[in-house]
Amino acid sequence: MRVSRLGLALAVAVGTVLADGSIVVLALPDIYRELDVSVSAVTWVLVAFNLVLALAAVPAAMLARRVGAARVAIAGLIVFGAASLACGLAGSIELLLLARCVQAVGGAAAVCASLELLPSVTGSERRAAGLWAAAGALGAAIGPGAGGLLTELVSWESIFLLQVPIALVCVLPLLGTARAEGTEAALRAERLPAGRPHLAANAALALVSAALAAALFLVVLLLIEGWRLTPIAAAAAVTAMPISAFCAAPLTDRVPEVGARAASGVILIAGGLAGLGLLPDASVALTLPPQILVGIGLALTLSALTEAALEGRSPQAIHGGWTIASRHAGVVAGLLVLTPVFTADLDTQRAQAEQSGIAALLDSGVDPSSKLELANRIADQIAAEGDKVPDVRPAFDPLPEDPEERDEVVELRDQIVDEVERAATHAFSASFLISAAFALAALIPIGLARRRTRELEL
Amino acid sequence: MLIGSAIAASLVLVVIYLAAGGASYEPTPVADPCAPRDWTEPHSLEEDAQQFLLSALDGAACELGVSRETLAAALPTEETREEFAAERGIDDAELEQAIQAGVVRAIDDAQDAGQVNPLVAEGLRAIASNLPVDEAIDLISGAQDVFDDASGLLDRLGGILPDVDLGIIFDRG
Repeated sequence: MRVSRLGLALAVAVGTVLADGSIVVLALPDIYRELDVSVSAVTWVLVAFNLVLALAAVPAAMLARRVGAARVAIAGLIVFGAASLACGLAGSIELLLLARCVQAVGGAAAVCASLELLPSVTGSERRAAGLWAAAGALGAAIGPGAGGLLTELVSWESIFLLQVPIALVCVLPLLGTARAEGTEAALRAERLPAGRPHLAANAALALVSAALAAALFLVVLLLIEGWRLTPIAAAAAVTAMPISAFCAAPLTDRVPEVGARAASGVILIAGGLAGLGLLPDASVALTLPPQILVGIGLALTLSALTEAALEGRSPQAIHGGWTIASRHAGVVAGLLVLTPVFTADLDTQRAQAEQSGIAALLDSGVDPSSKLELANRIADQIAAEGDKVPDVRPAFDPLPEDPEERDEVVELRDQIVDEVERAATHAFSASFLISAAFALAALIPIGLARRRTRELEL
Repeated sequence: MLIGSAIAASLVLVVIYLAAGGASYEPTPVADPCAPRDWTEPHSLEEDAQQFLLSALDGAACELGVSRETLAAALPTEETREEFAAERGIDDAELEQAIQAGVVRAIDDAQDAGQVNPLVAEGLRAIASNLPVDEAIDLISGAQDVFDDASGLLDRLGGILPDVDLGIIFDRG
C-alpha cells in the first residue's frame, strides 16, 4: 500500500511538472491581454520554463544520485509549489517569468529524482522508465485542455494556484523514504559513473519536440487569437491530439522495432503539420485531420525515442535527465525560431487585411455617410489591439436602425471578419511548414541510429 | 509497412488540402489608385457624388504613392491626418497638391464617364487646379458631409463657383 501511494505520488509529480510545459498554452492569450504584453513577450512564459527545465534536468539528476533522490524530490516539489504560488500571484510579466524559472528548477529536481526512485516502486528499471514516460506523456497531453478549462472557468492564475496543493500532497509519501536514505546514494553514484547519452535518440527527441511545441502553441494561438474561439472551445478542439495519441498507444506494443516506430511517427507529425500549414479555410473541423496525424505520430515517436535513449544505459536518472533536457531544449528552439516568423507574418497579414477591409468598405453598398466614419472606427480598433489579430466587430456597433442599412452593414462586417480570419490563418502557414521541416529533420538521427543498430547486429 | 502507411496518410492529407486551395490564399486585392477606375452606371446624384469623391481619393492616393485605403483611413480626423503625414514625411503643401490632383482626376473620370458636361469639366479643372488649400482639404476630409447627399458636393463647389449654374454640373438637369 505504501509503495503504491509512493508510486502514485511520483507519477502525479512527474505528470504535473511536465504538464507545466504546455498547460499555460491556452492561457497565453489571457495572460498577454491582462498583463498587457506582446505575443513575443508572452511566449517567454513558455520559453523560460522549458529553457530552465532543459538546463537543470541533468544537474538535478546528478544531485539526486549524490544527495538522495527522495530528498531532492521533496525539495524540488516544495520549490515547484512555492514558485507556482508566486506565478499565480504575479502581477507583472517580469515576476511571472522569474517565478516560472524557479518553478522549472524545482520541477527538474522532482522529475529526475522520481526516475531514480521509481525502480524501487515498480521492481525494475524498465517498468520504472515506462511509468515515468507514460506519466510525463499523460501530463503533457492533458495539460493544454486542463489549462484551457481553468482559464475559462476561473482564471489563468488558477492554473498555477491549483499546482500548489498537488505538489504538497505529492511530498507526503516521500517523507518516510527520505528519512531512510543514508549515504548509500552517494556511494552508489561513485560506483556507477554515468555513460554517454544516446546522441541520435536525444537529437531526434529535440527536433520532434521543437515541431510538437510549435504545433501546440501555434494551433492554440490560431484558434484563440486568429479565429476568436474561447479557451474552452479551443481546449475541446486541441484535445483531438491527445485523444488520438491515447488511441494510438497500443500500436507501440505491436511494432517492436523502435526505429520504424520513430520514423513513422515523425512522418505523421510532419504530414499533420504540413496539413495545418495548408488549411484551405478558417474552420476548426479542418484542423482535426492534421491534429489526428500529429497525435498518432506523437504516441509512436516519443515512446520509441525515450525507449531508445534509456535502453541499456545506466544510471537511468541521468539518462532520463538527458531526455528531459533534449525535449525541452527542442521546445525552446522551436518557439524561438518560430515566434519571430509568425509574428512578422501576422504583422504583414494584419496590414493587408486592414487594406482589404477598408477597400471592401469603400466599395460596399453601405450608406456613404457611414463609410469614412466606419473606416476610422476600424482603423482605431486595429490600432487599439496593437500587435494582436484585430477583432473588428466592435467597430460596427451600434448597428444602424434602418433594417436595409443594417443588412448592408452586417454583410460588410462579416466580409471583413472573414478577410481577417483568412489572413490570420495564412499568417501561421509558414510557421507550420517550418515545424514540419523540424519533424522531417528528425529522420536524419533516427536513420543514423537504425543504421548503427543494423551494423552492430551484423 | 508502418512507415509506408505513415507516408501514404501524410501525402493524402497534403494533396487533399492542396486541391481544396490550401496554398492559394491571396488577400482581396487592393486596386492600384493610379489605374483608371470605371464609373458604374449611377442612378442618383448621391451615387454621382460618391463616385466623384472615390475618384478624388484615388487621384490623391496615386499622387502620394499610397493606396486609396491608406488615405481613407488617414483622412477622417486632423489627428489621423497629422499622424499619416508625419509617418510618411509629407508636408502640408504636398498633401494639398495631392488633394488638388485628386479632385482634377475625379473631374476627368466624371467627364470620361459622360457624367459631366465637357465644358463644365474644363471650367472645374481650372478651378480645382487652383483650389484654395483649405477648401481642397475640406472637400476630401469632409467627404462624410458631402456623402450625406449630392447637394453637399454641389454646395461646396457652389461656394467656390458662385456664378455657375450647378444644375448643369452633372448632366441631370
